[in-house]
Amino acid sequence: MDQAAKIVEILGELAEVAARPGAYATDWKARTGRKVIGILPMNFPAEIVHAAGALPVTVQEDDAPITYGRRLLHEFYCGYTRSLVDQAATGRLAPYDGIFLVDHCVALLGAADAIRFELPDMPVFLAQFTASMDETTTRPQILGRIAELRERLEELCGAPIEDQAIRRSIGAYNRNRSLLRRVYELRRSGLIRLTSRQMQVLVKSAMVMDVDEHSARMDRLLALLEAQPAAPSSLVRLHLSGHFCHAPKPELLDMIESCGATVVDDDIYTGYRYISTDVPEGSDPVAALAGWYFNRNTNVPCSTRAQMTVDWESYLANALEKSGAQGVIVLVAKFCEPHMLYYPELRKEFVRRGIPHLLIETEHEGLALEMLKTRVEALIEVIRRPALSREMA
Amino acid sequence: MSAITEHANSGQPPARTAPLANRLVSTRAGGEMIKNYWDNLFTARERGATVVWYNGAAINPILQAAGVEWCHGEAFGARLAAMHLERPAQQAGEAYGYINELCSYARTTLGCALLTKKEAVDRVEIDGSPNIPDKEVLAARLPPPDLFVNAYAGCSTGQQWDEISYRVFDRKLPLFKVSYPLLWGNKSDAGYLRGEEWDNASKYVAGQIYNLIEFLEHQTGNKFHWEGLRESMHYIKRAAQLRLDALELCKAKPAPAVFWDWVASIAPINFLPGNQALVDYFQGVKTEIEQRLQDGVSALPNERYRLAFDGIMNWNKVGWLANKFAERDAAVVCGRYTHNSFWHEPHLIDEDDPILGMAQHYLLCPFNHSAKNLAEQVLRDCETYGIDGIVFHATRTCRSATNGQLLLARMAQEKGIQTMFFEGDVADESFYKDEVLQSRLEAMLETIDVQRTRAA
Repeated sequence: MDQAAKIVEILGELAEVAARPGAYATDWKARTGRKVIGILPMNFPAEIVHAAGALPVTVQEDDAPITYGRRLLHEFYCGYTRSLVDQAATGRLAPYDGIFLVDHCVALLGAADAIRFELPDMPVFLAQFTASMDETTTRPQILGRIAELRERLEELCGAPIEDQAIRRSIGAYNRNRSLLRRVYELRRSGLIRLTSRQMQVLVKSAMVMDVDEHSARMDRLLALLEAQPAAPSSLVRLHLSGHFCHAPKPELLDMIESCGATVVDDDIYTGYRYISTDVPEGSDPVAALAGWYFNRNTNVPCSTRAQMTVDWESYLANALEKSGAQGVIVLVAKFCEPHMLYYPELRKEFVRRGIPHLLIETEHEGLALEMLKTRVEALIEVIRRPALSREMA
Repeated sequence: MSAITEHANSGQPPARTAPLANRLVSTRAGGEMIKNYWDNLFTARERGATVVWYNGAAINPILQAAGVEWCHGEAFGARLAAMHLERPAQQAGEAYGYINELCSYARTTLGCALLTKKEAVDRVEIDGSPNIPDKEVLAARLPPPDLFVNAYAGCSTGQQWDEISYRVFDRKLPLFKVSYPLLWGNKSDAGYLRGEEWDNASKYVAGQIYNLIEFLEHQTGNKFHWEGLRESMHYIKRAAQLRLDALELCKAKPAPAVFWDWVASIAPINFLPGNQALVDYFQGVKTEIEQRLQDGVSALPNERYRLAFDGIMNWNKVGWLANKFAERDAAVVCGRYTHNSFWHEPHLIDEDDPILGMAQHYLLCPFNHSAKNLAEQVLRDCETYGIDGIVFHATRTCRSATNGQLLLARMAQEKGIQTMFFEGDVADESFYKDEVLQSRLEAMLETIDVQRTRAA
C-alpha cells in the first residue's frame, strides 16, 4: 500500500469514529468493561473523566432530523441543543453512562435539563464553571467545581481518582493535542493539503476515541504526512471562524473549498479551538485543570466567556497574519447567542483592517448550498481583485 | 369582514378597543413614579451624578447606598417596548450587525447604547441607519454610563451582553460582574430554598455582593452607606410583603385583580428606590383590592376560567393580551414572572444584615431554576389559585424564559391542568402571532369546558 493510500485508510477509520460516536463508545465498553461519559461542550476537562478510568466522549450533533425532541425544546434553540434532546428522546444516548457538563450556555442548560427529564435514570451532572474570568472569586469557584466533578465521577466509576492518574491523563491529552496542532502547523505553512472535511475528522474523532488509541493513529498519520512532498497552492487562503459547540456540516466545508479556496486555519470548536491549549504539567493537577480553563480563553478567546482583557477580534487579526489567510468566513450556528452578540465586534475589526469576510448562518436542517456558493464565490472574487476588496472594505 | 382582515386590507393600525378587564386604578400611581424616575435619570449628567448601567437582578439598593444613579437596561428596553418606541434602538442594533434572533432586550439596550454614545460623542460605527431621529428619540436619552455592573442570573446571554456594552463604549469603563449558579439540583436534598446547593450558592453570591460594594467604593470614591442600605431594604421588605399580601387576596373567586395588574407593578418593585413612597404604592394596591373584595368587584365581569401565565412578559402587547383574555372571560390570575420574582420571599431579608437575603433573591430569579424547581413553584401556585390552565409564552428570543417550559407543561398535564403555547417575544413584536394565540386559547378553553362537563 502506498503512502497516500495509507493516509486515506487512517482518515477513513477516524471518519467512521467521528460519524458514529455511539457505535465506538458501545464497542469500547464491550472491550474494556468500563463506563462511557458523555460530555457537553465547550470547556469540559476530559482529563478528569479519563483519570476515573472512563471514556469521555464529547456528544456530537448528529444528522438525524429532529422529531421527538421537539416536545422537549422549542424550535428556536440551536441545532446542537435540539439534536441533543432528540438523541435523548429517541434512545440514541443509550451508550452513555452519564452526561456531564460545565458550561453555562442558557440553551445548553435547557437541553441538559430536558435530557434529565427524558432520561430520569441517566446521571446528568452540572458543575457550572463561572464564565466571567475577571473576578477574584472565579478561580476558587472553578477549583471547587472540579472537586465536585471528581467526587461525582468517583461515585459513578466506583474508585477514587488519584492525583497521579489525573497527571497521567493530562500528559496523554497534552500529547494528543500537540499531535493535532502539528497537523495545523503543517497546513498553515502549506506543507500538507488536508481538506477541511479531513481536518474536522481528526478533531471530532479525538473528541470521541480513547486518547491513546487516537494518538497512535495520529503518530502514524503524521509520519506519513510529513513524508509527503510539499503541496504549494495558488488557491485563495481562508480562515474559518466561530461555529461553537458542534461541527459545521462537511458538505458546507466542501462547497467552500470547491469555490477556489483552501482553508489554512480556523478557530472553530471542532477545530483549533479544541486543541489550542495544553494543561500545565507537573503541578497540582486540579489547579492545572483550572489553569487550563483560563489559559485557553486567553489563547483563543471565546465569546461564551466574559473577559475584559482579551479580544477575539485581535486574536483573529494575529491568526490571519500568521497563517497568511486572505479572508475570513464566519460560521454562526443559527440561534447561537454569544456568537450573535459578538459578531458586530468582529465585523468592525474586519472592516477597520480591510479583511474580506463573509457571515454564514448554519442550521441543523441543512443549507441552501447553491445560494451560499454564490456568496462564497463573491468573497473569493473580492479577494482575488484587491482593488475591489479595498472598495468593499 | 373581521377587524383583523379589515386592518390587513387597509394598512391602518387597528382601532384601540376599550379595555375589557377592570384594571386596578391604584397602579396608575406606579406609572407616574416610573416616569418621574426615568425623567430624573435623563438629567443625571447635568446634575453631575455618577451613572451605573446594570442588567439583571435588583441590585439597585446597593447602588443607591453607593451614592450613584442606576439605569436598569432591561427595564428601559421593556419601557420602550411597552410604549412602542423600541424600533429606533433595534434599528440601530441591526445596522450595527445584530441578527434579529438575538435576545430583543439585548438588541434594544445595545441599540440604546449605540444611540446614547452617538449623542455623547457623535461617532459610532453604524452603517447609515435610516430614519433614526437623533435628538428627540427616547432611546437616545439615557445618560452615558460611568461604569457597568452585570448581575444577570439564569441567562448566559445576560452576562455576555454587558461584556459587549463594555466594548461598545471602547473598553474604557469599569465593569463588575456578579455570577450566579443555576439552581440545578445535583443532589437529592436540592429543592426550592433548601439543600446544600442552595446554601453554597447563597454564600457564593453574597461574597460577590461584598466585592461589588468594594468595587463601587473604589470606583466612586464614596464610602458605602451601610445604614442607607439597611433603611432601603427595610422599605423594600415592607413593600414586598404588601405585594405578597395583595397577591394572596387574589385567591378569591372571582379574582379582584389579575396578572396584568401585577405586570404594571413590576417596575416599582424591580428598580425604584426603597423608600416610603414604594411602601405607600403597594399599600394603595392592597387597599384597592381589599375594597374590591368588600364591594364584590372583580377584575373580569364574568370570570369563567382561571389561568396562569408562564414566561417573560410580551411588553409590546400587555394591553392587547389583557383584552384578548378578558373577552373570553379568562382571568389570568398568576404568573411565574409576577409571582415568583421581585423580592417574593421577604422573610429571607434580615434588615440588620441584608446581604445574604439579597443574594438569595438574586438567585431566585424565575429563570434561574431547573425544570424540577420550577414545577415545584408553578404547580404550587396553580393549586393555590385554583388554576384551570397554563398559558406559556414561547418567547422567541429569550431562551432563559423558555427553558423548561415544555417539561413544565408535561408535568402540569399530569396534574390535569390544561396547557397551551403561543408565540411572541419580550420586546420584538414581529414574532407575535395573534392567530396562534387566538386559536390555541379557544381550543384550551373548550377543553376546560369539556373537562368540567365530564367532572360534573
